[in-house]
Amino acid sequence: MSAGAWRANREPAILLGPGVLFLLLAFFFPAFQLLAQSFLTFGTEPVQFTFEHYAKAFVDEFYAGVALRTFRIAFTITAICLIVGFPLAVIIARAGPILRASLIVIIILPLMTSVVIRTFGWLVILGPGGVISWTLEQLGLIDNSISLMHTEAGIIIAMAQVLLPFLVLTTLGSLSQIPPSLEEASRVMGAGFFQSMFHITLPLSVPGLASGSLLVFALSISSFITPSLVGGVRLQVMAGSIYQQMTGSFDWGFGSALSVILLIVTLLLIVPYMILVSRAGGRQ
Amino acid sequence: MKQRRNWLATFGAVSLFAFAQHASAQETLTINSFGGAYEKIHRELVITPFEKMHNVKVEVVTAYSADTLAQLRAQKDNPQFDVVHFSGGLEHAAAAEGLLAPIEPAELENHSQMYDFAVAGLDKGIGPTYSTAVIGLLYNTDQISEAPTSWSDIADPAYQNHVLLTDAASNTYGMLGFLMINKVAGGTMDDIQPGLDFVQKILSTSTIVSKSPEIQQNFAQGSAWIAPYAQDYAFTLTKSGLPVKFVQPEEGGVLAPITVNLVAGTDKRDLALKFIDFSIRAEASSGWAEALRYTPTNREAKLSEEVAAQVVYGEGDVAKLNTFDANAIAKKRPGWNEAWSRAIAQ
Amino acid sequence: MIAATPRWVMALATTFLVAVAAFMLVPLFVVVASSLSSSAFLVFPPPGLSFRWYGEILGSEAYLRAGWTSLKLAMVTVVLALALGTPAAIALSRFRFAGRATIASIFLSPLILPSLIFAIGLLIIFSRYATGPSFTGLVIGHTVITMPYVIRTVSANLADIDPNLDEAARVMGARWWQRYWLVILPQCKTGMAAGAFFAFNISFDDAVIALFMRAPSVETLPMRIYSTLEFSPDPSVAAVSSVMILMTMVLVVMLSRVFGLSKVV
Repeated sequence: MSAGAWRANREPAILLGPGVLFLLLAFFFPAFQLLAQSFLTFGTEPVQFTFEHYAKAFVDEFYAGVALRTFRIAFTITAICLIVGFPLAVIIARAGPILRASLIVIIILPLMTSVVIRTFGWLVILGPGGVISWTLEQLGLIDNSISLMHTEAGIIIAMAQVLLPFLVLTTLGSLSQIPPSLEEASRVMGAGFFQSMFHITLPLSVPGLASGSLLVFALSISSFITPSLVGGVRLQVMAGSIYQQMTGSFDWGFGSALSVILLIVTLLLIVPYMILVSRAGGRQ
Repeated sequence: MKQRRNWLATFGAVSLFAFAQHASAQETLTINSFGGAYEKIHRELVITPFEKMHNVKVEVVTAYSADTLAQLRAQKDNPQFDVVHFSGGLEHAAAAEGLLAPIEPAELENHSQMYDFAVAGLDKGIGPTYSTAVIGLLYNTDQISEAPTSWSDIADPAYQNHVLLTDAASNTYGMLGFLMINKVAGGTMDDIQPGLDFVQKILSTSTIVSKSPEIQQNFAQGSAWIAPYAQDYAFTLTKSGLPVKFVQPEEGGVLAPITVNLVAGTDKRDLALKFIDFSIRAEASSGWAEALRYTPTNREAKLSEEVAAQVVYGEGDVAKLNTFDANAIAKKRPGWNEAWSRAIAQ
Repeated sequence: MIAATPRWVMALATTFLVAVAAFMLVPLFVVVASSLSSSAFLVFPPPGLSFRWYGEILGSEAYLRAGWTSLKLAMVTVVLALALGTPAAIALSRFRFAGRATIASIFLSPLILPSLIFAIGLLIIFSRYATGPSFTGLVIGHTVITMPYVIRTVSANLADIDPNLDEAARVMGARWWQRYWLVILPQCKTGMAAGAFFAFNISFDDAVIALFMRAPSVETLPMRIYSTLEFSPDPSVAAVSSVMILMTMVLVVMLSRVFGLSKVV
């Protein structure tokens, strides 16, 4: 490494330093205290090194099913947030000041309510005889009262509501940097509405959409309270299983093994996505 | 050690505000309580009078049994708690891990007033049972005119789609209720398969929840008609105006002890013992029954007629309750949780 | 701008907005309606109207103190998360170096790992090397779980901004602090604002780290809500959420009166 390389890297190193150091000491060090137990036997003297927790997690199809459900739900929520969030962000970016402010308030309000009480709202809406069931009945689509409580669809609906703001506000940051003249120019040059949308607006909002979808995905993976209250105990997700191991069975070794697996699999999904996105968006 | 402390000190300095803890001359005792109405009564009956009597400060951390056990385990080297309360049997798991300290009978003045079972585990680190909850059936009196008589009534087709079960894996009352269902279905502590089969049979027409607020919501929204749960919670629901009644089925209710335990390694052992002794005195025991309908475990506890009719009261009646070996539960719990989760999984 | 949009797109957009607004607001409507309930438990529709639960929480010293603790905690957390997260985001989006994507995704780890694991780990550390859980411990825990939001929002923000401006400043001989203070930081503004909002919210709503890192007499609002729900599930918790909703709206209106609407959102 030459002196020049150091000079080029000095600035990012100084900028990253405090954050990385903080993350190491305040996050990885504490998390390691528990995650290390995933390799240890419990209750034996002396404590021994073991792979049994990982073996159990990998061999057992019950946990494979739980993992599959977790990722299926997370992908669906992320997709819904992208499909609804992108047009919403575009509209907000172009709306007049009053409409813009009202829309932003509307999408951030769910975040201002405590998760337990928000879930109560969903219980009323998704439950038997709730708003959704009633509407479908009135439309003649169903005969009997249905309940979306304790279903995957229910989890997805309730989670999408509260995660949508993460995508919209992040994308809005990107969109507000696009000079409106750019799109106008493309329209003047004869591009149709959708052409200009796809060739100008969408590519330029890629960084925002990427960041927002990463937040939504990560949060869907690790969320516990909403899935457990809306989905119920019969539809376990990974985070729920981990809570269950830590505070129900008190098997910290196995709970930690599940956490390590969840963390690694998710990171393995995220890294290629980030590389892909930074190439696709590659304006630098 | 010294060096490791340094980075924490730096963090502290970075966090802009200096949140100095008041260094008070008064001796303090740190305990957990269960929050809400429970904690309010806990303060009235035990905590505040104790503070006045001994001129000490009692610091209360709101944490339920499972969280408290997790906390105790994490703080094994340096526990913040001096006294911890558990409900539903977790003290056995904690004691088995050496997180609780044994108590000599002579160290508690009120020891002789207690029912025998309430102080049976002192030498193993199981603190005294200062009151017990009783698990039976809660039912909606608007929907069900004749009280259910048996635990197996939850499989009655008349209640289809309105049966509310509590998760056994995450809720200790749920586990005790399940063990009773298992017993009625012909199972034993060595074989929970009959219970699992029974639950699986009614699974498609019942709802399983894990937290007590969900039980309340389901009764309030009218979707729940019958649910195995605790007598004290039935009273909480009735008090808030819901048409809910508690019944002990003919096979008997289940005893769910609530214990006050001495934390191993506390440097305030004497004061902690005084607190435990104060917690089990007759006035406290009857106070819990008056306020929240918990069953007293102190022989001297006197209840008004009205209250006595609403709790299981008296040594004979308490002895008739079903008990499940909490020590065995603590050992078998991980495996049972696993089997339960699989049995109910969709 | 909107005038240049085809009419059918406008119609579609309007329908879409109404649907989204309904999706976001209907559950909140249920919450607000149940907070006005005269009954002693959470139920919808409420049997009668009453403000008694608002009286209950506003007259409750415990609720107010918990609210104040949460507010302090969230504010300190926001400051720290911004101070640590913004430079990291600048480095990740302005410089090219080996392992950039990996470092960027590792910064997301605190979001992926269930916070319970981290919370118990933090408690182990604080009990072993410090005097046990404390407000400082809560601040550190919350800074860890909120920093990723700041990093993501600021990165997204910077990725779209012309880096040439900074380059120009460098060429023109600007000192490093001039570049950061006058060029780069102003460019991060939108991202920092969004990140700060998320950080505030996450800290304000967290009940997991608060449960484990909570010292005696440091009770946050979510802890208060949870412990109330467990033993006396009454509409007071719905009233707390309704007050939060109201405060958000008032805050936006006030800020826009003072700074002008376009500056705020």
